[in-house]
Amino acid sequence: MMKEILSIKDSAQEEINNTDNLDAVQNIRIKYLGKKGILTNKIKALSAIAKEERREFGRILNETKDYIENLLIRKEALFKAAELDNVLKTQRIDVTVPGCFTPFGHLHPTTKVLDEIIEIFLSMGFRIEEGPEVELDYYNFEALNFPKDHPARDMQDTFYITDDVVLRTHTSSVQIRIMEKHNPPLKVIAPGKVYRCDADVSHTPMFQQLEGFMVDKSISMSDLKGILEVFAHAVFGPKTPVRFRPSFFPFTEPSAEVDIGCVICSGKGCSVCKNTGWIEILGAGMINPRVFEKVGYDPDLYTGFAFGMGIERITMLKYGIDDIRLFFENDKRFLEQF
Amino acid sequence: MKASIKWLREFVDFSLTPAETADALTMAGLEVENIVPNSRDEDDSILEVNVTPNRPDCLSIRGIARELSAILRLSFKDNIISIQKEEDAGPSIEIKDTNLCPRYASRIIYGVQIKPSPERISKRLESHGIRPANNIVDVTNYVLLEMGHPLHAFDLNKLAGKRIVVKTAGSADKFITLDNEKRTLSKDMLLIWDAEKPIAIAGLMGGLNSEVTSSTVNVLLESAYFKPASIRRTSKAVNISSEASYRFERGADINNVVLALNRAAQLITEIAGGKITKITDNYPVPFSINRISVSLKKINDILGINIEPSDIQEMLTAIGIENKIEGQGVTVVPPGFRQDIQRDIDVIEEIARLYGYSKIPSTLPKTETQPLSQNIRWNLIKKIKDSMRKSGYSEVINYSFLNPSDLDRLKLFKEDTRRELIKIKNPLKKEEEALRTTLIPALLNNVILNISHGEKSLRFFEISSIFLHSGQDLPIESLKMAAIYLKDKKGLMWQDKHDGFYDLKGALENLFFEIRIKNYLFRQDFSLIEPYLHPGKSCVININDRTVGFLGTLHPEVADNFEVAPEINILELDIDKVCSLISPKITYKPLPKYPYIERDIAIIVPENVTVSDAEKTMLDINTDIIESVKLFDIYAGKPIPQGKKSLAFSIRYRAGDRTLTDEEVNQVHSKIIKKLEDSLKAELRS
Repeated sequence: MMKEILSIKDSAQEEINNTDNLDAVQNIRIKYLGKKGILTNKIKALSAIAKEERREFGRILNETKDYIENLLIRKEALFKAAELDNVLKTQRIDVTVPGCFTPFGHLHPTTKVLDEIIEIFLSMGFRIEEGPEVELDYYNFEALNFPKDHPARDMQDTFYITDDVVLRTHTSSVQIRIMEKHNPPLKVIAPGKVYRCDADVSHTPMFQQLEGFMVDKSISMSDLKGILEVFAHAVFGPKTPVRFRPSFFPFTEPSAEVDIGCVICSGKGCSVCKNTGWIEILGAGMINPRVFEKVGYDPDLYTGFAFGMGIERITMLKYGIDDIRLFFENDKRFLEQF
Repeated sequence: MKASIKWLREFVDFSLTPAETADALTMAGLEVENIVPNSRDEDDSILEVNVTPNRPDCLSIRGIARELSAILRLSFKDNIISIQKEEDAGPSIEIKDTNLCPRYASRIIYGVQIKPSPERISKRLESHGIRPANNIVDVTNYVLLEMGHPLHAFDLNKLAGKRIVVKTAGSADKFITLDNEKRTLSKDMLLIWDAEKPIAIAGLMGGLNSEVTSSTVNVLLESAYFKPASIRRTSKAVNISSEASYRFERGADINNVVLALNRAAQLITEIAGGKITKITDNYPVPFSINRISVSLKKINDILGINIEPSDIQEMLTAIGIENKIEGQGVTVVPPGFRQDIQRDIDVIEEIARLYGYSKIPSTLPKTETQPLSQNIRWNLIKKIKDSMRKSGYSEVINYSFLNPSDLDRLKLFKEDTRRELIKIKNPLKKEEEALRTTLIPALLNNVILNISHGEKSLRFFEISSIFLHSGQDLPIESLKMAAIYLKDKKGLMWQDKHDGFYDLKGALENLFFEIRIKNYLFRQDFSLIEPYLHPGKSCVININDRTVGFLGTLHPEVADNFEVAPEINILELDIDKVCSLISPKITYKPLPKYPYIERDIAIIVPENVTVSDAEKTMLDINTDIIESVKLFDIYAGKPIPQGKKSLAFSIRYRAGDRTLTDEEVNQVHSKIIKKLEDSLKAELRS
């Protein structure tokens, strides 16, 4: 009996090993484990065996059955995997067909740069304020210490709506509006469009500025330098050289212009920096006490600084753009690069 | 201001290279914008100095040299002027308007010989941008460049009474200047007269009637000081900007009047011969000395430095400011050529400049910590821009100007308030003479430009202010967003082919989701729609029953007017209105506990029945188990009869407190079908 079982096991094993397709495996299952299968018949025949041996043979037969079943399952899995493999080999999509989506649009390069600049100042505790683009002469000039009939007004070619109403030539007008409404301490940035009647490769009649100012007790020029160095290093890189040199704006005193080491030639000298190695990026200074007097602040109690920068200029330097007019032509091929 | 290095060296003995000189000046506030070779002298260079309006004293070689000597702490060698043999009396001068002309000095030079100037004069004039004329005129210009003081030479023989009267124009209303232009005068303009007639517009330009010409023999030389504001007003009014007016309106040095006159007289006799008369110096309003005291603590506090009083004194002395330490302060008297120094802060600026900005330390302000104050509107605009960007739209920025004829091309009605334009008095171009009252023309022009580059599909948006009449001084500035979509007709084969209108609408709905706008709807209303939109393919956008914008296809006529394809879709949104309608609060709703049952329904309805009509009809059933109704197909064409279309919806049923049975759902579902058949003449599609 034992021998018989072992021989069944061997022959089943051999047959399974020799199969070459899924159907053959199925046939082997029927042949050995089917209702009338060789092993099934042996199990059925157990009842005829002496009671004391029945248990032992029963166990062996069951083990053999499990063994063969296992071999069959493994063989089946092998064939199924191979079959799926074949199917997968024939099912193909062209992965180089472009994806199905609406491509993202692009923010205007000046928006990107303005956002970046604003983040820097927000992180230092400044808040955003805005003012009108069509402005009273008073806010744009008079209160900023540009008296009527003063040549300082020639520094900015002005579009006039009436004798007393202008297109603001700078965002500095927001300084007066905010200081009139709020008392110090103040830490404000004011972005916006400004207008000058001028048009060539480096001037457009409209451009954007960001004004910043801070007023408190004991604000000094060294604070101004500190804040603007943080800014310049954040935008142009921490190793960018920054220098301050004297200048003149009616609403600040002392006034400064701020240069960075030329981003094009790294200070070696090129046409962009006119061989000086330096590029001007903004104007700044300590708020003129005359301005404080206009808004009713006590200039002996408060000091402050203000600065203003052209967003297009910073953007041009950051991305190497050489014609400011590109910003307002709205050529898709330009906009798509940002 | 151009300044020759060689000429500067006549006043200061410096050995710096031109680049080093430029750097020294720049870092002291006299920005040198360019260094160019002197085209009239190969051994020389010309510095192009940007002189700020507060420093008229540096609008001369002598002034820049004086500054350079202060910066470099080198001694300043002034001109030596000596006039000999003054026997004859000087001219008679009467100043009627002493508030406009506090000083007028003059000499006459008899018997000059008019001819071209020697090269040393003419070359210098040319290299500094002034065209030589004759030796007399050239000398006045030479002294203007050298000493910064404008002079004028009259032909004495053409002056009635051989005298000078300084007074306003009064009734004289026309005057021909020496450039042969007829100028219109107003009565408060300051003129120079002889005994009878005007002979010059003071400080601006002489008259043709008294010009020095080749036949001139006797010359009357004028050196005066005119009040800056008056010169500037006249200069603007008569539209003359001359080297003279440029200096007078910024402020000449009243103490320089006689010196400049003598220098010119001396030069004239040198190169044109002649005999100089005595000087007449009419100086009715003497220069008042300004004494300023500055607290030493304030100097240090404002600059954030710690400077010794002796250093302060050394610097001030170097730039010619008399000074004295008195207690805790320094008292200064600025020289006549520094009229910009009026208050303590002006003195502090001088100290900062000479101390060197680079030596001021960098610190961060010590202030109280304050919470970040959010600008809600700004943040929202940022979100809107980002949402549009993610829907495929690129941001454009256009000038705020409008070509008024674009409003005709947009077919705006005559009475449209957007035709009440805010106009610029001095536009650069006629097409830019008004401020925008709508963003649409600019976006259409952006599309036109890009089509000309061969683009076929364009998505742009802009967020900018428009300017509307308010009846007040300042216009209403209203922030708008406009978007434009040109869909490529051909498209790509695997992409949808629906009308571009729905793409733009989808972008807007995404935007509304992004900024938490909920109660919006799109309403077709022929009475409200913009005249530049196709009436059948456009709608009003409402939020909480307020109109906030428009969406639609360009009107074919407007497309024609702008010469663009008619399949352009446009969106306009009033950003400020939208911002006011946001519901920022998010309230959590518990998740449903019971499953839903979904049923589809397909109906055939007359063409004019809208999806919204059908949805409303379905939702109008009196039940609380309809969770949502969603359109999933629209179809017209065979086999649907003409004039009809098929709509297919998925209806989702769910109850909050139990699992629905098929029976319950069937009941409601058949009510829906009945309602659709009754109110919309819908037929169920089998």
